[in-house]
Amino acid sequence: MSAVFAIARRETAAYFASPIGWIVLLVFQLMTGWMFLSGLIWYADASAQMMMNPYGGDSMDANSMVLQPLFGNMAVIVLLFSPAVTMRLLAEDTRMKSFELLLTSPISSFQIALGKLLGALGFGVALVLSTAHFVLILRWLGDIDTGILMTNYLNFSLMLGMLFAIGLFCSALTENQVVALALAFSANLLLFIFGWAAAGMEAGTAKEVIEYISMVSHVEQMGKGLIHIKDLAYYLTFIGFALFATTQRVEAMRWR
Amino acid sequence: MIEVNGLTKVYGENMALNGVSFSVAKGEVIGFLGPNGAGKSTTMRIIAGSLGASAGSAKVGGFDVAEHPKKVQAILGYAPETPPVYGNMRVRDYIEFAATLKGVAQVSDAALRAMKMVGLEDVQSRIIENLSKGYRQRVGLAQALVHDPQVLILDEPTSGLDPAQRVEIRHLIQTLAEGDRTVVLSTHVLGEIEALCNRVMIINGGVLVTTDAQTQIAAPGRVVHVEVARPEDGFEATLRSLDGFRDLGRKGDAYVVRGERDLREDVARAALSYGLLELSGRERLEDIYLRLTARSSS
Repeated sequence: MSAVFAIARRETAAYFASPIGWIVLLVFQLMTGWMFLSGLIWYADASAQMMMNPYGGDSMDANSMVLQPLFGNMAVIVLLFSPAVTMRLLAEDTRMKSFELLLTSPISSFQIALGKLLGALGFGVALVLSTAHFVLILRWLGDIDTGILMTNYLNFSLMLGMLFAIGLFCSALTENQVVALALAFSANLLLFIFGWAAAGMEAGTAKEVIEYISMVSHVEQMGKGLIHIKDLAYYLTFIGFALFATTQRVEAMRWR
Repeated sequence: MIEVNGLTKVYGENMALNGVSFSVAKGEVIGFLGPNGAGKSTTMRIIAGSLGASAGSAKVGGFDVAEHPKKVQAILGYAPETPPVYGNMRVRDYIEFAATLKGVAQVSDAALRAMKMVGLEDVQSRIIENLSKGYRQRVGLAQALVHDPQVLILDEPTSGLDPAQRVEIRHLIQTLAEGDRTVVLSTHVLGEIEALCNRVMIINGGVLVTTDAQTQIAAPGRVVHVEVARPEDGFEATLRSLDGFRDLGRKGDAYVVRGERDLREDVARAALSYGLLELSGRERLEDIYLRLTARSSS
């Protein structure tokens, strides 16, 4: 496992050694910060109005009015930005010939794929931590349900894992980072669009399948603080499948 | 130490390697010569386990590369022509990273030893992309050496270096080849091969032309290089009239005379009257290389 962690450590460090990691972090902060502030202002306005109404105070809930929309918006932002995080994972190695070091070291293709994914997730941890001050502000302002908060973080982390795993596979398909970015972006968009497609379909097995494949329903369910096995299975299946596909691709690159 | 049998590699319709077979004994330093695209790097990559063969097999230390790549890679160090470095890493971090990948127990010690061997101690804190090409080649060598491999495969380690850097790397390879380490070295610089290798293999068009070029060297005097001051006075005709003459060629200003017997004395005597400038009675590796690759191409 030391080789896996060595690859992961190197990958995470590489994000902070190049502008791309800092740019993604900055843009993520600006966008989530703006959305958080908008939600907070809306919540404050609504609270002020409710204070005039002696019977309306109980319907004010920071969890559903600020926290859940914030995590929903964070999901959309990482959906758009995750390809920029993952595009270089294997494409850059192939183009710069540094991949030869990995291929000629006594490590398996799975170890390479897992190390790369964990490296991207190391950057994901930085993304997650960069939202901590929102939680602190909300806690200071009012009551936040810890269960809902933790479920949203779990959901966000699993979603990052899934999107990064898909991006990793796309990066293994080409040595051109722009192509890797476009492939991952298209795949992410499909996962999102399936939700819309399902909304317009008549009830039935096809609708259920499309709904299940779509990311939207899983994000919504866990966003409410509900943990279902099918939602966990959804994320873990995608992560496992993308990791398997990447391993196969690395193996093919080794013996092609 | 290395056994290659019927190695074949096909890319689409292009046959990069066609039934290449050779073996390298423990402690041998082998030179691998051939024109660009001849199949040197393909052969080396297959032995190093970063490329699969279409047919045939390669064994290192008794292990088949395709079946036991990890076992082979644990005892083999490979330095490709383009050093497989991460430009944004510091030299020491990179070597330690390579050591970890290669399963070295004492990572820090192994990295220090490898850096010392290739002369990287002074630049160990530098970012790799800021290093000169010569130093980057050294970093590439250090990653190949960090696990103290029994077999070292070096693909054009002096490519793109200036003459001073070449000499440095050549001395370094000389040091690496000491002891019972097996080294396979590919280069276009024939002087390097002559200076460093026990044996020379030549490959052309994916086919191994010879596994021991030195045995192809003609007996002394069978090939004579001669340069004279006044060849226009009929020197060529004089050479052709020599007893035992076979054929005549040109190499720059020099004539290359081939004979059925030792012609050194006769050529020297003839050349004196045309103003003898230089005479050599031994065939050089360069001549064999050109002769064998030209023959196999035709």
